[in-house]
Amino acid sequence: MTTALELDVVTAGYGDNPIVREFSARLEAGTITTLLGGNGAGKSTLLRAIYGTNRLFSGRILFKGEAIERLPPWERLRRGVGFVPQGRCNFPAMSVGENLKMGCYTLPSSKHEAAIGRMTDLFPLLREKWRTEAGNMSGGEQQILEMAMVLLLEPSLLLLDEPSLGLSPRMQGDVFATVQRIAATGVTVLIVEQNVRGALLISDRALVMEQGRRFMEGPADEVRTDPRIRQAYLGGNIKETAA
Amino acid sequence: MTIDAAYLLQLTLNGIALGLLYALIAVGLSLIFGVMEIINFAHGELLMLGAFAMTFALPVVGLLYWPALAASLFATMLAGFVIFEILLVRLKPDEFERSILITLGLSIILIHTVQYLFTATPRMVDTQYGFDGVAIGTIRLTWTRLIGAGAAIVAFTGLYLTLRFTQFGRAMRAIAQNREAALMVGIRPRTVARNAVILAAGLCGLAGSALAPIQLVTPYMGQFLIFKAFALVIIGGLGNIPGAVVAAVALGLVESWIGGFFTAAWQEGAVFVIMIVVLMLRPDGLFKRGGMRVG
Repeated sequence: MTTALELDVVTAGYGDNPIVREFSARLEAGTITTLLGGNGAGKSTLLRAIYGTNRLFSGRILFKGEAIERLPPWERLRRGVGFVPQGRCNFPAMSVGENLKMGCYTLPSSKHEAAIGRMTDLFPLLREKWRTEAGNMSGGEQQILEMAMVLLLEPSLLLLDEPSLGLSPRMQGDVFATVQRIAATGVTVLIVEQNVRGALLISDRALVMEQGRRFMEGPADEVRTDPRIRQAYLGGNIKETAA
Repeated sequence: MTIDAAYLLQLTLNGIALGLLYALIAVGLSLIFGVMEIINFAHGELLMLGAFAMTFALPVVGLLYWPALAASLFATMLAGFVIFEILLVRLKPDEFERSILITLGLSIILIHTVQYLFTATPRMVDTQYGFDGVAIGTIRLTWTRLIGAGAAIVAFTGLYLTLRFTQFGRAMRAIAQNREAALMVGIRPRTVARNAVILAAGLCGLAGSALAPIQLVTPYMGQFLIFKAFALVIIGGLGNIPGAVVAAVALGLVESWIGGFFTAAWQEGAVFVIMIVVLMLRPDGLFKRGGMRVG
């Protein structure tokens, strides 16, 4: 197996506050990895550091063996790192069609039609809602749209921050199934999820963060059955049993 | 008081022409606000620079209107580029107070620099059209006014098409709607902000060039316009470009009517009375806010 992403003692945060501290990890190409951790553990901060939208204090980020930590986000995107941030991350006053065209921003215009066609084939919903303003769609539909906006560029690494947040249990299932389908095409996925059980079920590996540091790492099955993890994240509260 | 229909029509046409020029300024302000989340208080001075550029360019090109207009547009866009690269690029979206002080300071510096270099004596400029115009019955419109209004309409059409149908323009709306999503799709905020400032400066330059043959050109001509333009941007629904255009044309009409039927002293005051009343009744302005909507 080849390494898609390597984090080498990464310390990152915002302003003068490091949140993620000395974090190291390695993602194998084509695998799904869940990033677990309590509120404020630094999960989103780590994803932003990989995409380059916050401050990296020290450490190296190697993507396909190449150092990317000094590159701006659009350069990382061009190399194949896609990031779908948490919350509704689209252009709410634009139609679905316009959102997809914005997703093609870094592509030459000759490739727009084919790229968008691939996405509307993958998610027929987007063709049906072509003229709908993104802000008027349901949370689940918007999540699909956002993933499509990033997948247009055929990234080889996909960073997903809470893709199932705020979705109905059924819609959550759809999102997880979609992530599985994407990974099956060879895309490496790193996913932060509040629905820990759902995410672990589709994942190959799991990384656990505590207060910005790496707490444990292993195959998803092992982490899922680890008593410490069961107690901390799979305590059987309502949110998780619903999934 | 009897109202003469021809007189009212004349005032209405003048008002629309004036309103379109206000709209050019307000739209530029709205564009910069959308992309950078700052209010450019030096915006009126870009108009003044455009008007001055026109007064210098016209004699050089033998009073020919269109080449002088092109030169003036180029000059203001260049000024916009320089202002962006030296000052505005250093502002982050959350630094609203700093942006007010910096652009307000810049506005005052520009006014006084122009006054120092070219004195405060009002300038009149002549064009190839002089005071020629068209007369329909008793209604008369000079070519310079008609061209100014026409150029504004062409500019709005161009801007609309750009924002609506090109990736260049869509990227501006994208940043106004969601900064993080803009980064997600690979937009470079700095490049887009620079484009927006240059475009807005061009709109101001167009307004200044169109005004130069119509009214006196002084270093202060843009000073109060910024407050009117700011009011228009708010009344039109912050970030709503057609809203700002509609509000601007309405303002031009109101000013023209008031100026035509009452003493001129009421003209300026009435604008702000209307603005305060509108904002009391509808705090978010008359039209839907945000997202740099274009239709």
